[in-house]
Amino acid sequence: MSPRLRSGQEHERWLVPLLVGPALAFILIGSLVPIAATVWEALHGHDLRLPWLGRPFIGLDNFIEAAGDPRFRAALVHTVVFATVTVPLEIGLGLALALVMQTATHGRSAVRVVALLPWAIPTVVAALVVRFMFEGLISPSFDWLVRPLAAWVPIGVADVWKTTPFVAILLLAGLQTIDPALHEAASIDGAGPGRRFLTITMPLLIPTLVVAAAFRILDALRLFDTVYVITAGGPGTATEPLSMYAFIALMQRLRFGYGSALSVTVFLLTFGFALVWVRTLGRSLVGDRV
Amino acid sequence: MRRPRQSVFACAVAATLAAGCGASGSATTLTFSGSALGPEAEVVNRQLARFAQQHPGVDVSLRITPDAADQRHQLYVQWLNARASEPDVLQLDVIWTAEFAGAGWIRPLEEHDADFVAAAWEAAHWRGTLFALPWFVDVGLLYWRTDLVESAPQSVVQLRDDAIRLGRGPTRFGLVWQGARYEGLVTVFLEHLAAFGGRILDAGGRVVVDEPAAIEALTFMRDALGSRGFVPPSVLAWQEEQTRFAFQNGDALFMRNWPYAWALLQDDAQSAVAGRFAVAPFPAAASGRPAAALGGAELAVNRWSRHPDLAEALARFLTAPEQMLERARVAAQLPARRALYDDPALAEALPIPLGQVRAALDAAVSRPVTPVYTELSEILQVELHRTLSGQAPPDIALHRAASEMRALLARSGLADESKRP
Repeated sequence: MSPRLRSGQEHERWLVPLLVGPALAFILIGSLVPIAATVWEALHGHDLRLPWLGRPFIGLDNFIEAAGDPRFRAALVHTVVFATVTVPLEIGLGLALALVMQTATHGRSAVRVVALLPWAIPTVVAALVVRFMFEGLISPSFDWLVRPLAAWVPIGVADVWKTTPFVAILLLAGLQTIDPALHEAASIDGAGPGRRFLTITMPLLIPTLVVAAAFRILDALRLFDTVYVITAGGPGTATEPLSMYAFIALMQRLRFGYGSALSVTVFLLTFGFALVWVRTLGRSLVGDRV
Repeated sequence: MRRPRQSVFACAVAATLAAGCGASGSATTLTFSGSALGPEAEVVNRQLARFAQQHPGVDVSLRITPDAADQRHQLYVQWLNARASEPDVLQLDVIWTAEFAGAGWIRPLEEHDADFVAAAWEAAHWRGTLFALPWFVDVGLLYWRTDLVESAPQSVVQLRDDAIRLGRGPTRFGLVWQGARYEGLVTVFLEHLAAFGGRILDAGGRVVVDEPAAIEALTFMRDALGSRGFVPPSVLAWQEEQTRFAFQNGDALFMRNWPYAWALLQDDAQSAVAGRFAVAPFPAAASGRPAAALGGAELAVNRWSRHPDLAEALARFLTAPEQMLERARVAAQLPARRALYDDPALAEALPIPLGQVRAALDAAVSRPVTPVYTELSEILQVELHRTLSGQAPPDIALHRAASEMRALLARSGLADESKRP
């Protein structure tokens, strides 16, 4: 028995790099190398359209240019404001939807299917539907898409409509982990539904809320397709988010250096946010208990 | 007479590129890339096969590229940056030729004949050298309702007066144009600009889009969108098709669009205005001239092609009068050769009345010929759209656009073309 086992362990040790290797290589090739390449490119002056300028190393010049670029700064503001407005809406509506889905007694599965439908629709299609609605069906005399502030409304509507079900399903999962005995005990002690919601449901749901909000904020900071379809960033650049400006710099202007710098900025923004979010909220709420 | 010298030259160049010439027997494959949508594919395939027939031992394959201009452009730039030897012959949008020539991605060509639409011929040159052969042209037209007004407007003032007078009675809108933030908006602006005597770049390549004539042109466009204007604000989200729908439903007195709309508007099954419209160039103000923005395609030879002589021969074959005429017949695209417009065969081949198109072609203006055109255009699109959506006054927006353009030209080393040899 034991010699065979030992030889088996040795055999396994030999296998370790072989088994882990592909996964490591995949991570390396699939995410680290492209990120590193983008960062490296961001440190160069590189315009595919102007090959006679070459590809000189220019240090942080692209980032300095971005810092002084009014269009970039406006895009940054748009992105952050969009996230701060839509995410609370999605969380609030998602929570309401999750409570409905949990408490529905009749046709539970039908309710869930209907509630989840928007999430199953591709973003581009959802955005197109909203665009058509705002182009003519809702108040034909008011041009939503060509007014700098009003143009945000269809974008917000599309985003909230599309992603609320995602939040709802996460929160529903959270709700279902709450032991019903707690609610029973509380109601025997005379706590009404409002009280039970505030003192039992909410505290126990907070870890899930933190995760759901993190997902949504990260998504909102990378906002692209909804805007691309509905306003393409217009009128002017009034609804242009960061990712779209980076896309224009890269794929339309073909300024690979500057566009990479903008992409790196989006990456740092989302990565930095994720780090802070996990470190502060995540640790205090989830980490302690795990 | 011409061909041998040409191929000797090409072989010499090819030899220096260590690519060989491949003329000695073994099958050579040429790659052609261009748009191939419906009837275009049919006519291109037929013509490529005919070329192959005339050149034994040569195969020509069609590489289909995306129809969206932006995507095709992006693909080309990536290929040519990587010095790909294929495709050998490239279909370029008129506004790309200078860019590709400036970057050294396409080969200079000898001028054999200059029988092309002037604006297209101009767009095929970069710094005095021919780099592409005009293939077909597209031209901005003012569609007008023959049942509501007696003649095409002779001036922008008449256009405005007619549009205001009739735009609230028989039709809902006076005039519709492409106002979304994309290349189409620049062509609309270009026509207004010419009407008021302005330009984007002057002959020396300097930015003049913030001069009074340009501000006047943009002010005219903005006022047209206002509450007492004659263009619906919805156009700021419209491209060609939305304007066509408005005109074809009988909702607009005037429409600015390209020739493709003609046949569709004449189709009784979908159009309420069939037989009740005509086309003309966009009219002028007192200070300018009637204008029609020029679009279309040109053929160029890949700088890294392994068969440059054959590739050039293919480009010349496709741009020969017979092929253009066939293309006009099958795909209804306007030929780029001037002489064809005197040919009764063309009048028969095209659905659109030749006389009216010719007036527009005579008024054709090309967009700035510069390697950084797409970027210039993007700067302009943003500022035009900001002005038209009421976010900035015309003068401030154009000054801002101009200074961004100047910075771009300076950064690109193109600031003063007039001082170049």
